[in-house]
Amino acid sequence: MANNRLRMYMRMVSGSLIRRASRLVIAVLAIAIGATILSGLVTIYYDIPEQLGREFRSYGANLIILPRGDSKITRETLSRLENLIGKNKLVGMAPYRYQTVKINEQPYIIAGTDLAQAEKNSPFWYIEGSWGNSSEPEKVMTGHEIAQTLNLKLDDTFTIQGVKYGERAEASRQDLSAQENQKRDSARQNFHKKLTVKGIVSTGGAEEGFIFCDIDMLDELIGDSFRADVIECSVIADAAELETLSSRIEKEIPELQPRAVRRLTQSQDIVLSKLQALVLLVTVVVLIITMISVYTTMTAMIAERRREIALKKALGAENKLVMSELLGEGVLLGIIGGALGVFLGFEFALQVSLNVFGRAINFQIALIPITIAVFIIITVAASIIPVRKVMDIHPAIVLKGE
Amino acid sequence: MSNKILELNNVSKIYGELKALADINLSVNAGDWLSIMGPSGSGKTTMINIIGCMDTPSTGSVILDGVDISKEDSSSLTRIRRDKIGLIFQQFHLISYLTAVENVMVAQYYHSMPDESEAMEALEKVGLKDRARHLPAQLSGGEQQRVCIARALINSPKILLGDEPTGNLDEENEGIVVDLFRRLHSEGVTIIIVTHDPEVGDVAQRKIILEHGKIIDDIDQSATFGEALKLRSK
Amino acid sequence: MFLRMIIKTLVRQKSKMLMIAFTVILGVSLSTAMMNVMLGVGDKVNRELKVYGANITVRHKDAALMSDLYGLTEGLGVNDKFLHEEDVLKLKSIFWGFNIIDFAPVLEGHAVFKNSNVDLIGTWPEKNAILATGEELHTGLKSLRTWWDIQGEWLNDSDSDKDSVMIGSALASQNNIHVGDSITLTNNGLTKTFRVKAVFNDGGNYDEKILMHLSDVQELMHLPGKVSHIEVSALTTPDNDLARKAAQDPRSLSPEEYETWYCTAYVSAICHQIQEVIRDGVAKPVRQVAESEGTILNKTTLLMILITILSSIGSALAISNLITASVIERSQELGLLKALGAYNWQIALLVLSEVMLTGLAGGVIGYFVGIGFAQIIGQTVFGSYIEIARMVILIVAVILFLVTLAGSIPAIRYLMALKPTEVLHGK
Repeated sequence: MANNRLRMYMRMVSGSLIRRASRLVIAVLAIAIGATILSGLVTIYYDIPEQLGREFRSYGANLIILPRGDSKITRETLSRLENLIGKNKLVGMAPYRYQTVKINEQPYIIAGTDLAQAEKNSPFWYIEGSWGNSSEPEKVMTGHEIAQTLNLKLDDTFTIQGVKYGERAEASRQDLSAQENQKRDSARQNFHKKLTVKGIVSTGGAEEGFIFCDIDMLDELIGDSFRADVIECSVIADAAELETLSSRIEKEIPELQPRAVRRLTQSQDIVLSKLQALVLLVTVVVLIITMISVYTTMTAMIAERRREIALKKALGAENKLVMSELLGEGVLLGIIGGALGVFLGFEFALQVSLNVFGRAINFQIALIPITIAVFIIITVAASIIPVRKVMDIHPAIVLKGE
Repeated sequence: MSNKILELNNVSKIYGELKALADINLSVNAGDWLSIMGPSGSGKTTMINIIGCMDTPSTGSVILDGVDISKEDSSSLTRIRRDKIGLIFQQFHLISYLTAVENVMVAQYYHSMPDESEAMEALEKVGLKDRARHLPAQLSGGEQQRVCIARALINSPKILLGDEPTGNLDEENEGIVVDLFRRLHSEGVTIIIVTHDPEVGDVAQRKIILEHGKIIDDIDQSATFGEALKLRSK
Repeated sequence: MFLRMIIKTLVRQKSKMLMIAFTVILGVSLSTAMMNVMLGVGDKVNRELKVYGANITVRHKDAALMSDLYGLTEGLGVNDKFLHEEDVLKLKSIFWGFNIIDFAPVLEGHAVFKNSNVDLIGTWPEKNAILATGEELHTGLKSLRTWWDIQGEWLNDSDSDKDSVMIGSALASQNNIHVGDSITLTNNGLTKTFRVKAVFNDGGNYDEKILMHLSDVQELMHLPGKVSHIEVSALTTPDNDLARKAAQDPRSLSPEEYETWYCTAYVSAICHQIQEVIRDGVAKPVRQVAESEGTILNKTTLLMILITILSSIGSALAISNLITASVIERSQELGLLKALGAYNWQIALLVLSEVMLTGLAGGVIGYFVGIGFAQIIGQTVFGSYIEIARMVILIVAVILFLVTLAGSIPAIRYLMALKPTEVLHGK
């Protein structure tokens, strides 16, 4: 029995929505536009720390990892560290080994690193020529200062000399001839290698005074296994996350000593929180406007149906029943418009993300029920005032026009 | 006296300065067919509002089926209207997005329980069984009015109350509708019709004429009852 | 009569027209706010990015960065070349002086403390001065080290603050120095005692140094009036091809290009102008800051542009939707006009004029509400006013006109198709 009533109710509500298609389109459009902008903006809002956080990585490494005490960092430690931080959080992780070498009998420092990772870490380096790579290890990059001092240009060659790992350099002895001195230099404990300039590094900072080469080549040259003096990491994380990460590293890999680069982490937090606040405010403003727009649409929709409502009342409908029908329509409109809006909104956020950041965006599953629920509430709330007003309609108006 | 379905005792309705109804006394027996006539502004609409439980008189009492409705509030008026009155309007007032049978079912829905087969029966009675699945826009004016009559009858009201039911119909459809009233009358339905069409007014058993809120004439037409219609049918 | 009808509609149909006006106000205010924020966001974010510190350093042309790397600070001749403290304030006199937000001269020194060598940093911790132009100036290293975590208080400009120092956290913990302690520094036979006013945490190599007033280091190092480099933080425009070309060699530009470049706040243009006022100075962008700033700025601006465009489309649709809804709502009354013998075009003109007039009123109000919204956003997020861009008026006006027109079209088409009888007989 009650079933019959429910079926009739559904028939009336759905009949109203389906057979009044043109009006339905207007209302659904209003709701869907609102839901689209809202869910799009919320998606962007949640994704800003992630997306823009990646952009902030263009400032370079934000976590410097030093060995504790005199120990050096081995390849095994490096891979443990990589697993600990997690690949998806890591923009770049470059180990550095510093070695003093002589060029034209003057001391310089050569830094061996994973060049591909260093490039990811330091997008702000300006390279005249191009980045070196591990397949041609004898082609290296020199800092701008060194290039100036040694008067090196692209594709020029120079020779580095040095003492192998664990050996002592013998001082030049006065009593030896130059020839003997040269022989001593090429002896077993020493190394020398001819290198080509593939790129010249300008940064406006200390990097301009280094030579950068592949770390494996440097290890081989100095006759030692892999050992890094420092690891530079560029991690997608805010200050608090980096803090947690640092203490986890200290606990799980005690031979390492992580140090967050305060300058970058603090500043990133400040700027990111401002930008997030900006999008939040914009979202709130849009939400208010959306609500009002849905409200006006519902008012127009209901005002249009005064006569029909009066008729139903003349037929003996109680206010409660008529209201429940109108609100039922509101709920259905909210569901349809909200669902439509969620997907359009995701598309909106995706387009923004692709255009701005060149990356896809994370879809927040939770947004589907939330957006739909929010818009059911907005639609119903927007209907309540006009519906209540309509309840005052006198059934007698159906009698002779208006 | 027990067959009195409606009694108006000294009923007045006053809007500010205007006396729309002045001291009306009227009683209608069950099974009567009454038409109310009169020029514009004579108080016809006010009267139908009061009889149809959509308004209450300023003074006087209205006894409908033994209940005084003159002092009821709007929600109990709604309940009484639902149970005792079947309304037919000049402009049909079908819900445009519901089919003919659904429009009939709406009245059931608000009254008690929608029952599609019962609604179909009602449509069959007015000769519209094959049009039951059509939307109002697909029906002619006469057909729409017949759907309204089916809707008005579906809850077996005590009184069928028509407000210019033929006002928007051509002659042919008017004939069909009046014919239908006649059949209903023969089945014992009480019919009260407000009209200013003398031909429709003349087919009733009894005719009252309003002017300036007063009944100025009350004519028993039992003798000629039905004749006018027969004449027209020719 | 036509005018009379419009006026009557506007006055009598107040509630319906108010609804259209209200929607227009909302849409216009959103677009106005977003466009103003969008146009201002570059400048605002640029200022926010100043927390990363200096994006330009100025050194003596013969001084080399390499000294930093080897720790061979003296004797090699490289660091004997200094800039002059008296030149520093001239920075504000360059063409883009207004864009120079903060700057501070730095003199690096060293001294013996508890029998070991410590590095000293002499600077203007805080500088208040009145320029020749009458402009007040507040700057100093404090503004360039926003990320420092300070225990105690920053050094300041006042005379009573002389002989105070700030100590790096690493150095302080090694030597167990606390705020309020006194330390004694010796160099070249000169010994001075200083009060520790603060311990700072830089998270970088400053943590092992002592930060002092410039004059104190000049005195200890016997280098009166000298500074080793100047840190400059300037608002810059992200580089483009022209800027990159100019950065290689400004002389390679054509006169027109040079003019454009010189008058745009590219980092290379600002560096070029700094070199014109600082004797023997070479200004170089700190690429880590300068380059990344450009990236972030471009991304943020693009983000705001897209959000603005999409929100504007959204509000345009909403307005046009509502106009349609409310005109259709009035179909009854307009159908009556038709029954009275009005031509379709007369009704269309009537509807359009009404809607346009309402839209105009709504637009004007909406514009000012939107400016209010923009200022709320500016104050809340950036703590400063957002400059009002005049071009927004034009853009919004054109969009509004088109939107109102577009919104009226479906409604008018609906009215044209309407048969007067249908309307009057209450379909």
